[in-house]
Amino acid sequence: MGPFAFAGGPLEPDRYRDSLADPSAGGYASFEGWVRDHNEGRTVQCLEYEAFESLAIKEGERIVAEAVARYGVTRAACVHRVGSLGIGELAVWVGVSAAHRGEAFAACRYIIDEVKHRLPIWKKEHYADGDSGWVNCERCATAPRHAGPDHESEHAHALEQGDAHAHGSAPSPAHDYSRQIALPEVGAAGQARLAAASVLVVGAGGLGVPVLQYLAAAGIGRLGIVDGDVVEASNLHRQPLYGPADLGRPKAAVAAERLRALNRDVRIEAHEVHASPDNIDALVAHHDLVVECTDNFRAKFLVNDAVLRAQKPAVFASVHQYEGQLQVYRPLPHWPCLRCLWPEAPRDGLVGNCAEAGVLGPVPATLGALQAMQALKRLLGLDAGETPSLVMVDLLSLETRRLAARRNPDCDHESPGREIQPDEQPLELEFATLAEAFESGLELMDIREGWERAHDPPWLQIPSHLPLSELVRGHAEFPAEGRYLIICAHGVRSLSLTEHLRSRGQAEVYSLRGGLAALRG
Amino acid sequence: MNEIEVQYFAVLRERAGTNRETVQTAATTAAELYDELAARHDFGLPQAMLRVAVNDEFAEWSRPLKAGDRVVFIPPVAGG
Repeated sequence: MGPFAFAGGPLEPDRYRDSLADPSAGGYASFEGWVRDHNEGRTVQCLEYEAFESLAIKEGERIVAEAVARYGVTRAACVHRVGSLGIGELAVWVGVSAAHRGEAFAACRYIIDEVKHRLPIWKKEHYADGDSGWVNCERCATAPRHAGPDHESEHAHALEQGDAHAHGSAPSPAHDYSRQIALPEVGAAGQARLAAASVLVVGAGGLGVPVLQYLAAAGIGRLGIVDGDVVEASNLHRQPLYGPADLGRPKAAVAAERLRALNRDVRIEAHEVHASPDNIDALVAHHDLVVECTDNFRAKFLVNDAVLRAQKPAVFASVHQYEGQLQVYRPLPHWPCLRCLWPEAPRDGLVGNCAEAGVLGPVPATLGALQAMQALKRLLGLDAGETPSLVMVDLLSLETRRLAARRNPDCDHESPGREIQPDEQPLELEFATLAEAFESGLELMDIREGWERAHDPPWLQIPSHLPLSELVRGHAEFPAEGRYLIICAHGVRSLSLTEHLRSRGQAEVYSLRGGLAALRG
Repeated sequence: MNEIEVQYFAVLRERAGTNRETVQTAATTAAELYDELAARHDFGLPQAMLRVAVNDEFAEWSRPLKAGDRVVFIPPVAGG
């Protein structure tokens, strides 16, 4: 018998107990969970247990090994029932042999608590009124409703009676997935797939916030958050995961904090960095699926290339004012990538992002919710028969349009984005203050639009001004000679123009990293 | 002259001042139609930066147009 097992028929505690016998053991402690006849005020007639066995066995063995290591016990084991059980039947058994009783009790308690909390096991209760419902087993770990002395007595009662439903050690009520498990296409097996999945969310802004909230709430096993920005006041209207108290704090860290409070089942990993050629492959490698939620083409193509290399699915979305675009990439031979649709990787700033073009919060929220839905569909396998497309959503007219997309035969999926070579000269320069930038010997060039400059404070006066819109429309030319530090609000448009000028052979142009927002006054 | 239904997105919608219009045009391809409309609405975006879809499918710019086609011009969008 392995340290953890499932049994389809009645449990045999005597046989299990014998397997733990050892000459060095001075005691044996055991816990039995029984099926009781009521739950949350309803009369239960019988119940069914369903488990995602391959995953649960591995995790169960890990729990038993942890208990042995942690409490130094001699042997330990756990057996859980699956299938239909009647009232009074044995649902779960835990046994521990140890030199002394203290460790035996502690290890036994640890194993049953962790099994209830961590294993993908679901319970369907059949009630006396003919109704039935799936209950995530973790709900069993819900803390007793009465605090104080009752807590202990209820607990003692649980141990004495071997009540499978009450062992109140959890700090807060466990997450309830019953409404999504109730979907025939999801079920216990689907929930287990979500619990076993990992998703990387690149960008925790207007799109990323709803993506993170819904994926965390749905019980994705592990969520990685990549965002190198801090929370700014201008974010709050469309990123309600953050509040005024978070201003200046790293978005990834704040998001992780909020999501952990939302659902403690989910392992949240915060990466307080911008996605870059140096880190993107490692980040993608550690996740099953990527949701791309940044606000710039540079990052979008970076993610595109990384998922092509890693052969991982990805969900892309972008918004512009009242509209959004949604595209799913799947690593299938005929499936188009972002570059298939946009062979000339667009440059940032030419078509506006939220900072520059303005946006109402529900627009990225809608597209983010669509991204979360696409991610869940992929993880649950609900996207069979879906063909590649670009979905365009117009929130003003409430029209959506699904445009069939095809793989571009000229697009190289084997070595995507190979034209991007690291520059010898850095594209971006960092300065703490505008004065430092002035002293650098570079000429400062403000490429913001006129209206953006209208409300500048007195210290922020940059004499040279060339709005990007004028350059894009060919109404003005960037000076061909000279050394320039190009400046915009957040460093996105300036970087894009710098790249463009470098590609034309203009070597001495730089972008102010992070734009004016990154400067101290 | 063909009657074509045209839909605009993002920055093109802003410049055109509408999200759709029905145009009478002598343009025979998607590219010609874009040139004509870009001049009329001062789009300022080169065709190379855009994609075109005809009747809900991405199409080549050389795609011939016929009466009743639904044409969508799509600029890339990056906001998030």
